[in-house]
Amino acid sequence: MGKGRVALVAAGITKFGKRAATFRDLIAEAGKATFDSNKKISPKDVKAFIISTVYPERSAYQGHPAPLAAEWCGVRPTEFHERVENQCGSGTSAIRTAYAAIMAGLTDLVMVIGAEKVMVPSHQEIFLNAMGGGDREWESCFGVTPPPLFAMVAQAHMQKYGTTEEQLAMVSVKNHNHSLKNPHAHHQKGATLEQVMTSRMIASPLKLFDCSTNTDGAAGVIVASEERARALTDNPVYILGTAQVSDAYPWANYPKDWSSWPALKFAGEKAYKMAGIGPKDVDIADTHDCFTISEIIEYEELGFCKKGEGGKFIEEGRVDYGGEVVWAPSGGLIACGHPFGATGIRQGYEAFIQLRGEAGDRQVEGAEIFLGHNLSGLGEHHILIYGRN
Amino acid sequence: MAKQEIQDYIIDPNVYVCDPVPQETPDQNRIYPFYDHLREGRLTTTRCKDCGHIMWPPRIVCPECISDNLEWEDFPPTGKIYAFTVQVGGVPPGFKAPLVYALIDFDNGIRIISPLVDTDPDDVAVGKEVVLKVVDAPRDRVLFFFKLK
Repeated sequence: MGKGRVALVAAGITKFGKRAATFRDLIAEAGKATFDSNKKISPKDVKAFIISTVYPERSAYQGHPAPLAAEWCGVRPTEFHERVENQCGSGTSAIRTAYAAIMAGLTDLVMVIGAEKVMVPSHQEIFLNAMGGGDREWESCFGVTPPPLFAMVAQAHMQKYGTTEEQLAMVSVKNHNHSLKNPHAHHQKGATLEQVMTSRMIASPLKLFDCSTNTDGAAGVIVASEERARALTDNPVYILGTAQVSDAYPWANYPKDWSSWPALKFAGEKAYKMAGIGPKDVDIADTHDCFTISEIIEYEELGFCKKGEGGKFIEEGRVDYGGEVVWAPSGGLIACGHPFGATGIRQGYEAFIQLRGEAGDRQVEGAEIFLGHNLSGLGEHHILIYGRN
Repeated sequence: MAKQEIQDYIIDPNVYVCDPVPQETPDQNRIYPFYDHLREGRLTTTRCKDCGHIMWPPRIVCPECISDNLEWEDFPPTGKIYAFTVQVGGVPPGFKAPLVYALIDFDNGIRIISPLVDTDPDDVAVGKEVVLKVVDAPRDRVLFFFKLK
């Protein structure tokens, strides 16, 4: 391990939604919002840059996005520049890469932008692009995309633990209602249990409202060594712990019991140990609710409730304001939408405003510890734990 | 209006790499025997002759011992459904809803994700047995679907 600590010193976000904007428009918006959040930093101060993006080669027919994105943010990197891609976990991976670059001494300040153009003119093409992160030759060739995969996760969890479709729906209701207070979220209409339960079927048992939304969006953070951070802000948000685990590829090779995610349990334990905390210390969790079942399994594997009791945990209201932990105050992937490369950066933005007490109507009072998590498959997980101190 | 100088890629039959079906021929793929076996109605994979590991998908190097001394082996004739779903929304172009996807477990320890065809979704259940159904794909290619036994 390197010396010292690493912190976020700036963060910005675009409106998520079906945007009248190109891939590079989104990058420029996120870059501006990030610089606007800390007037002590100008593009000329930034010598290291990371872009997190999953498939600009498909949705914008644009490869080589790192120098392009840096240029569109006014940055000319001389110390470090990379594109980070780990499918839906790219954002958390990218901030983790910035952390590693600073700890390695290659730089002491990194701008990280996550951006994804998803909403191309043809809806069919959006579904086609969704196959790109799967194993093309052995699984995507059958049209397999995330909805049927997570539907089978839900089937396995319901069969083994008796989790109900109503319990899945409660995750969606909570997250849609949280997004009423998030002006950047794709959806800001809230939802009722009846609305979720009667929404159209996508892949049994997952209905439309059980799924995160395809959306365009971008977000940015600036990550600094502790010494730089102290000079740039009175309220840095520290990275206390991080972990990353991948235990198989493709999906058929994940551990046989799909209701258990041992890779997430292991990643959580590693990140808690590094941060010197446990689940009881976490005030806010913003984890990967790509589908409602994912959030339920995340309660379990991250140690907030017993294995198999995730459905009961949401039903008892323990993950909302006034409960033990506030889960997805932003609205999560379900209501914010999930622009793949931007999602982990959006979580970093949420950590930044929540832990500095700048989250407005959705502020979790006195929040000190924020758990961020992305997954790129049920056996591939990326975690960042942020803290005020 | 001026003549269109760029052809619409979507209708160009020479665009090969944008469809999801793999390249299955010896000039493009070193595990082409898998597809040759499939055309004979056989589902196969590779087993390592050095360490004995049987792997999925088939490969040219064993992930357990990094040997390239591998041989082809047939799957057991039936597999069993561990979980399934019926997808009706969000189906990619080229595929028709409803799509029944299943996780299929075989006695050789391997699990495969594949669609079930020639199958009424209402008849599918966890624990039921399935058998291979080789399906034609565009441009002389084949894929390994399954159907209820």
